Amino acid sequence: MTLPNEFTPTTLHDDFELTLRPLWIRGQHGDAKAYRDALATIAQRLRRFYARRLQALPDEVEDLVQETLLALHLQRGTYDETLPVSSWVFAIARHKLVDLWRRRGRRDNLNDSLDELTEDQHPFAPEELPSKRDLSVLLEQLPEAQKQAILLTRIEGLSMMEASDRSGVSVAALKVQVHRGLKQLAALVREES
Amino acid sequence: MKTVELIELLSNEAGPAPKVSMARRLLPAGLFGGLIAATLVLAVLGLIPQTMFAEPGPWIKIAYASALAFAAAWLVASLGKPGASGRKAFLAVQGVVGVMALAGFISYLGTPEPERVTALMGHSWLVCPWAILSLSLPVMAGAFWAMRGLAPTNLVLAGAACGVFAGAVAALAYALACTEPAAPFIAIWYTLGIALSGALGAFLGPKFLQW
Repeated sequence: MTLPNEFTPTTLHDDFELTLRPLWIRGQHGDAKAYRDALATIAQRLRRFYARRLQALPDEVEDLVQETLLALHLQRGTYDETLPVSSWVFAIARHKLVDLWRRRGRRDNLNDSLDELTEDQHPFAPEELPSKRDLSVLLEQLPEAQKQAILLTRIEGLSMMEASDRSGVSVAALKVQVHRGLKQLAALVREES
Repeated sequence: MKTVELIELLSNEAGPAPKVSMARRLLPAGLFGGLIAATLVLAVLGLIPQTMFAEPGPWIKIAYASALAFAAAWLVASLGKPGASGRKAFLAVQGVVGVMALAGFISYLGTPEPERVTALMGHSWLVCPWAILSLSLPVMAGAFWAMRGLAPTNLVLAGAACGVFAGAVAALAYALACTEPAAPFIAIWYTLGIALSGALGAFLGPKFLQW
């Protein structure tokens, strides 16, 4: 019996890890700007990762990037600082890819194991692709309190304190609503596809 | 929504990452499930005679089941973290089973010829594995709940680890009522019961742990 998720030296030392790690660690400790840059770095890498593996389904790439970013955000508490960030990211990215294939009943591609390094040379523009699914439409389907909490703090960009003053909801309750809302959003994304 | 907008949405006021503590979920799950299993065992089968606690039999079971429960809990925690290797925890589980198998084997060799069959089969070999499997169900429910708080990326293995944990806790409960004294019996039939529970967990994992 072999256990999966073993990280290889290539993912340990590649540029992605070196760029990402400092940003990610700062993000984990609450630096929102570093967290944003970390997510942007990851998004670019994921786009390449998925484009390479979904050559038959290019339309799915950006949707899967978004779904994975949402999952990474919701699960960021499971990251263990003693491990490379990239192994954590790719473990989740693969999980999401397998999930997509499973939902589409395409089990034949499960064992696709392309070398990570060749991806860097893969001629693919890292710019954002059009997404088929619109998350803002799904956002509308959330319960009112969750939607409001997300809109105020995440889209209008108010601080938790300002949002609390505006809505009359305590900061702690707002945080809970945002988290529940994003979890619900992730569930809606999976249901839809 | 564009991906850059999603990133803004996720990072704005995101705060520090929440602390995910597996112990905080698995411990109550194990205690609560174990309590249900123990209550069932005592209600249906009753506690073994007090005098048996002076013999090594029950203590071997308790030591084996507890050690396995801890090793399996470690495995559950590792498999819930994406990118973490469960290798060390998996070796720990194998190690505990290996030590029990070895102890059972040595004890078997030291048993006089005519008593060997009894030491191996006892009087309840048909009951023991199934009892452990049934008792593992409440613990398994708790372990799955705990695992759902993490992010398992291999659902079969994650389910199996939950199952082995549940089986070990169930074996601990079953030891309260089991009158079999022989180490070879424990090494075979307890292990089989726990393995059945692990197999059930592996089967249920992909159904209940998807996220």
